[in-house]
Amino acid sequence: MVLQSSLKNCLQLPCILRTSKAGFRSTTSGGLIIQSVSNDVYQNLAVEDWIHDHMNLENRQVLFLWRNSPAVVIGRHQNPWQEFNLRLMRQKNIKLARRRSGGGTVYHDLGNINLTFFTTRKKYERMENLKLIVKALKALCPQLDVRVTDRYDILLDGQYKISGTAAKLGRTAAYHHCTLLCNADKFVLSSVLKSPYKGLKSNATPSVPASVQNLFEGDPSLTSEVLLDAIAEEYAVQHQIDHRITLINPGDEAVLPGINNKTEELQSWEWVYGKTPKFSVSTCFNMVYKDSVIDVKVDMDVKHGKIEVCRIDLPEQWLPPALCSELVKSLTGSKFCPNETTTLATTLLRVFPQDDELHSRWNLLCENMIMLM
Amino acid sequence: ARKFTDKHEWISVENGIGTVGISNFAQEALGDVVYCSLPEVGTKLSKHDEFGALESVKAASELYSPLSGEVTEVNAALADNPGLVNKSCYQDGWLIKMTVENPEIDELMNEDAYEKYIKSIED
Repeated sequence: MVLQSSLKNCLQLPCILRTSKAGFRSTTSGGLIIQSVSNDVYQNLAVEDWIHDHMNLENRQVLFLWRNSPAVVIGRHQNPWQEFNLRLMRQKNIKLARRRSGGGTVYHDLGNINLTFFTTRKKYERMENLKLIVKALKALCPQLDVRVTDRYDILLDGQYKISGTAAKLGRTAAYHHCTLLCNADKFVLSSVLKSPYKGLKSNATPSVPASVQNLFEGDPSLTSEVLLDAIAEEYAVQHQIDHRITLINPGDEAVLPGINNKTEELQSWEWVYGKTPKFSVSTCFNMVYKDSVIDVKVDMDVKHGKIEVCRIDLPEQWLPPALCSELVKSLTGSKFCPNETTTLATTLLRVFPQDDELHSRWNLLCENMIMLM
Repeated sequence: ARKFTDKHEWISVENGIGTVGISNFAQEALGDVVYCSLPEVGTKLSKHDEFGALESVKAASELYSPLSGEVTEVNAALADNPGLVNKSCYQDGWLIKMTVENPEIDELMNEDAYEKYIKSIED
């Protein structure tokens, strides 16, 4: 992975090893600016967890800078099916992560920068942090029309969202993190962040959609590197510390003991999908088979990402009732997941007669069921 | 009688079952609650264990168990009406009920001590 070498006074790896002997947890007053060398969303979210759980923030505030390769990041209490197009995400090999903070769904790629401001719970102050960012932007580009809204978004030209905010309050520590669109792929962003799933009912926290814009489009000098540097500089000035960025490797257990466990947890199906608030799917679809149109009605309750209750209404005798009831029985208790459903459907079919007509009808039904997931 | 923790949760015990919620100080600091993430009935908790989270317009805020015990009931009304935590934090906005070992409750603050505690941290 190529490190950003354009940043001034950037401490490279040997310095991190020296720092680690003194211990990241040791108290030094003022502030600390760190940047991740990884573009893996799970590793970077794990760093946030690690700092939140292990660092003493009484006398020191921390700014963490990170970027991710393409990923959709949902808020802690959100429903992915309600928020975006999972099918498209999988097709494009985009990762899905669930953060521990609240808020809505965002798309990350290397053209988006993430900033996390760590403080004690008492010193938690989102507006101040966002004003710091705006100040840094205006220092680079004085005529830029950027301002913070009372929803803690940053708007460009009064109408385009360039930054969204979320936060987490722990026992003693707090963090506020936000995105900043520099040069992200807006086309992918808008096509992925559109949910095609119908008939969902849930009390999960919804996102508030917004029109977005990249800073780069207004001023080509505003690249991710330039912006990261400017924000780090402003943070250094405001905290009266050295404008020095410490690079960290989120895979390094020596520097961040226990970090790999945190990464694993964030990547786990139980966290990403299993944490979805209980929801129901109630939908109909048509299947075209030879010369007829078959209406199908599906009702499912999904809890902890697994199908708790399942009902499929099909025209009588279109498929053998025994096969249908086996399908419903197998789906009940299984993950609301295309791969799991495919495996289950394939396994069931082996038990039934080798009849081409039956197989075609079965595959058609199962493909449509999978489309719901 | 209601007892309080230094993390602004309260617990009120009756017949060995404790009802848990957050204090008025906490709900004000949190802002409007939009989602309550609570544990399953049967979950075993140790004192200080994270048992859920409240998401408000301000942030996602973790909930820590005031005592050790087992979850016996979860407030279902909060699923459709999370704002109850703000409107009625000591009554309808309760979060969970759990079994309680009596000796542990003596370690918590009574209402007067809690009021004094809030005043001391506000300064």
